[in-house]
Amino acid sequence: MIPEHREDGVPTRRRVLALGAVTAGAVVSIRPALAQTAGSVLNCEIPVPDPGRAGSYIDANGRVVPARTKGAFPSSPRPFKGEEVKRSMATGRSLPGTDSERSRAYVNYIRRLQRGQGGFTCFASLQMPRA
Amino acid sequence: MHDAVYRAPPIDGLLIAPLDEFTAVYHRASGITHLLTEPAPQILAVLGEGGLSLDALLDRLAEDYELSDGTREALAARLDELVEAGLVEAA
Repeated sequence: MIPEHREDGVPTRRRVLALGAVTAGAVVSIRPALAQTAGSVLNCEIPVPDPGRAGSYIDANGRVVPARTKGAFPSSPRPFKGEEVKRSMATGRSLPGTDSERSRAYVNYIRRLQRGQGGFTCFASLQMPRA
Repeated sequence: MHDAVYRAPPIDGLLIAPLDEFTAVYHRASGITHLLTEPAPQILAVLGEGGLSLDALLDRLAEDYELSDGTREALAARLDELVEAGLVEAA
């Protein structure tokens, strides 16, 4: 018997306990999927901007602005791999196929990604130490 | 399998948080969190690190609780789930 368990939410003596049907199921496991798939994290993709706003431009601060806004950059013709973004953030080197100013604008856009936007999960997973 | 001895992890290897209907159990060794419903948390608590056979576990549960359907088959099914989740070891 482990007394701490008993007082920590597990019911005390003579309570009715149903062991349940053979098919019932009393365990759901939440696996840290992102942590276990470091390889695929680096291969995930971040579109700039997300497909819903494809064709828009990205200004230097990473905001999505109307196409042909002066001083802003056209959207990226292809999404970036998680690994490319991670490397660029870590070293300051430009994203592939971009010059330094455009790369900085894109990275700013990626930093501003929020839940629900394309690429957010990929970006968030890059922040995990094991990725 | 029914003659096996079932063991729960060391008590400091688990972080247990009751959440209304569920009991969340974080298993440090695997880094996996499990949501358990009755009777799984009670089985883990009774089992302990020392280990019990299926019949001994059933007896111990019957000492502590009114078992509404205390069959070996039902308990074996619950234990199998816990073994599959990695929370119980059968040897």
